Amino acid sequence: MKGYHDIVGDGGSGILEQVAEQRTRITDGLAGVRHLVAVGSGKGGVGKSTLTLHLAGALRARGLRIAILDADFNGPSQARMAGVQGALFVPGSHKVSLPRTKDGIAVFSMGSVIPESESLEFESAAQGESHTWRATREFALLGEILGSFDWGALDLLMFDLPPGAERTVQYADFLGPRTSFLLVTIPSEVARGVVARSVAALSKGSNRLVGYVENMSGYYCRDCDAIKPLFTSSEIPRLGIPCLGSVPFDPELARLCDGGIPFAELGETPVRRALDHVAQQLLESLT
Amino acid sequence: MKFLCVPCDTPMKLQTVAPPDRGSLSIVYSCPECGYEMAMLTNAYETQAVQSLGVRIGPESDGKSSDASACPFAAMIPGTEDAQRGEVAVPTPVRWTAAAEARLAKIPEFVRPMARTGIERFAREKGALEVDEQILDEARDFFGM
Repeated sequence: MKGYHDIVGDGGSGILEQVAEQRTRITDGLAGVRHLVAVGSGKGGVGKSTLTLHLAGALRARGLRIAILDADFNGPSQARMAGVQGALFVPGSHKVSLPRTKDGIAVFSMGSVIPESESLEFESAAQGESHTWRATREFALLGEILGSFDWGALDLLMFDLPPGAERTVQYADFLGPRTSFLLVTIPSEVARGVVARSVAALSKGSNRLVGYVENMSGYYCRDCDAIKPLFTSSEIPRLGIPCLGSVPFDPELARLCDGGIPFAELGETPVRRALDHVAQQLLESLT
Repeated sequence: MKFLCVPCDTPMKLQTVAPPDRGSLSIVYSCPECGYEMAMLTNAYETQAVQSLGVRIGPESDGKSSDASACPFAAMIPGTEDAQRGEVAVPTPVRWTAAAEARLAKIPEFVRPMARTGIERFAREKGALEVDEQILDEARDFFGM
């Protein structure tokens, strides 16, 4: 009797072919992108999205062509921070055009089409059992986004990843070895511990870990024009991968994010200089 | 998944796929040698597992679903069938020219209802009751694309 591998094709269901076509569309759609960089952590609340947007702003200010894909479908924040809430997805001659920030960064975020009062819902035949299929559906959606939007010619496509060490690894698997990873932590033992798990998990795969950024590394006091301590932890051990820089917390940066105001309006502050430094380090590590 | 007719030792071929019924798909295979037919009846988890991959089973089902049914956001988009069953007010209908429809058709189903609804809203705000390629281009320019 024949076995599975003795039979060519699948009798007409076409599932494997469709999945292969999806992968081809993704590869073709990203052919013009020079660097793919996923900004992750494993830990939530460390400022992945803020750093992604403002690193993109710093890189854009250097004349690079940048796009952001907000891969946190369940908690999208890039639409608000980038000022593209309510932006349309408009079909071009072949693919869907991406909304852009005032300074020209292309942004895909579910927050453009789903109001903050709504959650992302999928139709399901298996009611109430979303743990059995939800992640698969979200990655299929990511594939559709990558394959259907017009990414065009870019120097960098940055993925703003959701929290969760296991999710970070799933994105690495899905995005493939072309994608480099930049991790974000804060100066706390708890955060460092979680991010260390992400480093350990990613190190087993084929994606390149370009390094990490220590965010909220003190806060910038505008009155004193000085960086003051934000966390009281003693010296935090390094993560065993390159540290691309430290970025202080700045309430002004939070205000820009809430208002969708571009990085260019931040002004010449230590925070901006720190972001510029990280952007430069990132570029050097990629080339 | 593949099916083998054991007496003939021949791979069976997909014949028909019935629309989902309470979460179950009915997929009929037949043996090209002896004509024997069998049906695979999926449970809701199996149906959802396939749907979650973003694929359909078999060519027969292609094109049968509407924009709205294929879209995970259908229920929250004004103007779509699901939303009309809810509390969302039905806006003034907007026509689409064939050329504009052709451009819309080039984008995947999941994003199509979102794009359609947003563009129709943009057209209405401009006082237009028809979406043509000029409206599409104006929308792209307006949003800085």
